[in-house]
Amino acid sequence: MEELASGKGVFRMPDPDGHREYIRTHKSREMKSKVMTEKEAIEKFVSDGDYLGYDLNISKRGPTALFREVVRQRKKNLWLAVRFSGLDPALLIAGGCVSRIDIGWFMHGGTASRAIEQGIVKTTEWSNSAVVYRQLAGAMGLPFLPMRYLGGTDVFENSGAKLVKDPFTGQEIVLVPALNLDVALVHVYQCDEYGNARIFGAGLSPVETATCAKKLILSTEEIISNEEIRRNPQITTIPYYMVDAVVHLPFGCYPGAMPGLYGGDREHTMELMLADRMDKMDEYLQKWVYSVESHADMLEKRVGAKKLVDLMKVETIKEGYHA
Amino acid sequence: MSSELNFTQTEFVVCTTANLIEENQAYWVAIGGPPLMAMLLARRTHAPKVFYVVEDGTVSPQPPTYVPFISGASGAAGYRALAWKDMNTMGFHCALGYYDYGVLDCLQVDMYGNINSSIIGGTYERPGRRFGGPGGANEIASMCWHTILMAEIEKRKYPKRVEFISSPGYLDGSPRARERAGLPANTGPYRVVSDKALFGFDEEMHRMKLLALAPWATVDEVLSNMGFEPLIAKPLGTMALPTDEQLTLLRSEIDPGGLVIAQGKWITYKSES
Repeated sequence: MEELASGKGVFRMPDPDGHREYIRTHKSREMKSKVMTEKEAIEKFVSDGDYLGYDLNISKRGPTALFREVVRQRKKNLWLAVRFSGLDPALLIAGGCVSRIDIGWFMHGGTASRAIEQGIVKTTEWSNSAVVYRQLAGAMGLPFLPMRYLGGTDVFENSGAKLVKDPFTGQEIVLVPALNLDVALVHVYQCDEYGNARIFGAGLSPVETATCAKKLILSTEEIISNEEIRRNPQITTIPYYMVDAVVHLPFGCYPGAMPGLYGGDREHTMELMLADRMDKMDEYLQKWVYSVESHADMLEKRVGAKKLVDLMKVETIKEGYHA
Repeated sequence: MSSELNFTQTEFVVCTTANLIEENQAYWVAIGGPPLMAMLLARRTHAPKVFYVVEDGTVSPQPPTYVPFISGASGAAGYRALAWKDMNTMGFHCALGYYDYGVLDCLQVDMYGNINSSIIGGTYERPGRRFGGPGGANEIASMCWHTILMAEIEKRKYPKRVEFISSPGYLDGSPRARERAGLPANTGPYRVVSDKALFGFDEEMHRMKLLALAPWATVDEVLSNMGFEPLIAKPLGTMALPTDEQLTLLRSEIDPGGLVIAQGKWITYKSES
């Protein structure tokens, strides 16, 4: 295949056989309970230097309680796959956890922008879809996929994409390398103790994100029985054998929203946005992460039952978000 | 008798963009801000059934009101959708040619309709100012048949060449530049809506072309606030004023908190009638 141009961005070389070997030797097919605390899950399955991805963001259905545990455990040198994000990169960067990010989109003008401008965090440019498309290639066990965007731009120049002549048609086409994450964090509505999980609502890329990862940690609003899963198998989004840990974390996206269950906490979101802009993330993390032991401890000491009930009340639209 | 109409720059841009939206066409709309507001305004006026998708995979919802990005998260944003899919599915449908128009708000747009939303100043590795990145705009600007861009007239927003192309316009403007870069044929920027002027693109040269002026703006005023000289259509058209209905809908239903529409300077337009 004739190579016409190549981006100079840093990416991890795809290794489909290496990934298969990992799956063969590390992933149990046994139906066993994987329920554990967020402390255990992050200790066991997130290592310094991991390539970490997640679905959605800090505003909506993101695994925010798991992010806070990553920060609490002071993980280092993570490589984040960031697309369609909000202030989630800011949270992890402020915690000193991140050395490199793939950029689809992030909320700029605060912590993340400063860290990139100062050279503390390195970047590779992609786009929202390009990152999830690379995860799709990884989820298919392929080394790359062709696509019809990115080409011609400075994004292409600063990505790991290539422009080639399609060996079938002879036309120019962009190829992007597959992305297989070391670890994915996905917040779900319901799952059983083995990890058979349900996600409702418009996706982003829960399936690609979960499937392309070596290690997968689920946080869930609710643990349901395996019997209940078997009565409605059509709506199982992620099957158990991909899942390494199940963490029961009601309000696990707080301060973000879980559509159909609870709305986002605007007051908290404003506090976070201001901390991000004003370079006061240390104070924010002290209050919401370091000074509490766990998600449950944070909800009890910093949020309170009244606020949680209020957040459930404002989420009046529930159609489609339950089995 | 003279009458006076007051509106913000953003309201004018949103109303003008809404006027471009047609029934029986499919739109891929950036998920928050002015593009989504323009779509919701068109839905409430001349194009009640128009189809749109947003990047997260929400297919043609009927949200009860405008949902700003930070709470765009709630169930309201996806209310009464036709389908809940995902980002890759939106990309596949766009690659197949189902989506006619992309609607995007721009930080910077150049004479060939290329968009920068990544960096200003410095190098890629050590940018002077780092912005959010291409987001979904790269795929929207690459694969929709036409792209409608929104950007207020300011010298820094209309440079001759953007210093970083985050999302493609006609690239260097040369024939087949997009196809040679692997993008689908016969696609590209279609309109640029600003607070003073409406632009299109010359079909041969792919350069931005001034099509119409706001009733209060002059050619000199527009050109002196741009970093390049666009082609100029003859005759030049005049952009429609926002209607009372449009402004009332924006202020009372679509964005009553003024989170988006209150942005930008106020414009007062006096007319004799």
